[in-house]
Amino acid sequence: MPCEHFQDALTEAAATGAEPQGELHAHLKNCAACQAAFEQQQSLFASIDSGMRVVANAEVPASLLPRVRARLDEMAAPLPAWAPKWFVLAGAGAMLAFLFITQTLWRTAIGRNRTESATNATQSWPPAHRPPKEIPDMTTATHPGGVVHHTHADGEKISPENSFLKREAQPEVLVPRDQEVLLVRYGEDWRRRKPAPIVVTDSGDFTLTPLQVAPIQIAELDVKLLAESQSQ
Amino acid sequence: MQELVLIQPGGRAQEESAGEAAPADARREFEARLAECGPLAYRVARGVLRNSADAEDVAQEALLRAYRSFDRLRDRSRFRAWLVRISFRIAIDRLRSSKRREQRDGEWSRPEHQPPAPTVEDLAVSNQFQVHLDRALEELPEKLRLVLLLAAMEGHSIDEISEIVGASVGTVKSRIFYARKQLAEKLRCHVNISKTR
Repeated sequence: MPCEHFQDALTEAAATGAEPQGELHAHLKNCAACQAAFEQQQSLFASIDSGMRVVANAEVPASLLPRVRARLDEMAAPLPAWAPKWFVLAGAGAMLAFLFITQTLWRTAIGRNRTESATNATQSWPPAHRPPKEIPDMTTATHPGGVVHHTHADGEKISPENSFLKREAQPEVLVPRDQEVLLVRYGEDWRRRKPAPIVVTDSGDFTLTPLQVAPIQIAELDVKLLAESQSQ
Repeated sequence: MQELVLIQPGGRAQEESAGEAAPADARREFEARLAECGPLAYRVARGVLRNSADAEDVAQEALLRAYRSFDRLRDRSRFRAWLVRISFRIAIDRLRSSKRREQRDGEWSRPEHQPPAPTVEDLAVSNQFQVHLDRALEELPEKLRLVLLLAAMEGHSIDEISEIVGASVGTVKSRIFYARKQLAEKLRCHVNISKTR
């Protein structure tokens, strides 16, 4: 029988470490090459086993268990009495975040109010055009002098000073009709953060004076006929 | 029907002292197993990683993980098997991540990408055949590798290995056989074995 037929059996016998039996045993007795191969296979498995023992039974470092015990001590050590609990820290953090958000929103709202009041003072001038929702209980009347006054629905007349005191959030500026254009321009400049040298006078001291126009001075004309002038 | 419960005076104090004593008991019990099973965790990791420093780190991590979950282990007699599996799993994960890192870097010529320097112990065992054996062992399937490692460790019978890996004795024997056979196939070219005719 050819040697190749015994190859698997030979390897298995070497791997298991068992003595060859039956036909394999007989073949190995008669075939020196297979006997040599079998011995080499046995040697190979022995080398593998000894190598595995080296790998698997490595010396354990002496530092391993002390290191583990030290870590266990760290894990088991209770927090010191002064150490704050996690929920206290979390609560303080939440409170700080709440305060910060509230403050930010408040500042934003104030900034928006200022901008809106400035816009109202300039864009929606005269105040009579302002939507009634913003000033629900006020009526607007224009005096013959051109000065605009606001009056409460109950009939109480509000002077400019009163109006300013009562509604500080939205200050009113009373100007004569002919200064409206100037005020609008001032408002636009104010929105652009440009200082404008405009002074608005108090409506109480203001009196309109009619325009004084001097009569046209025309010298007397010397009228001559065309025919006379040509002959001359 | 309402059930009445009698509360003994001082019961709360007893509960508190019991609550404090429980971790201490667990720690004591764990400590008792630590000396016995710590080396086992290290050797399993060392068998996978073939590096003493990495194996020590892995063993420490495995032991700490085991301690954290020690309360959840109902059957304490299975602690060894449990620890071996934890250690083996962490070691395999670390080996894979280091391989991925090596592939990603890909520049072994640069000194910073070279593997850690071998320890004296590593040098002692790293003869030529051992190097080939390490490589062949790395290519083995995980199940075969773990069983072969445990079989090679001193003091592990087939029954114990069967208990540790959670497989039957026959399966363990079969895995050991195939593991050795695969290693022999890979190492044959390195020992100059003449083929049969």
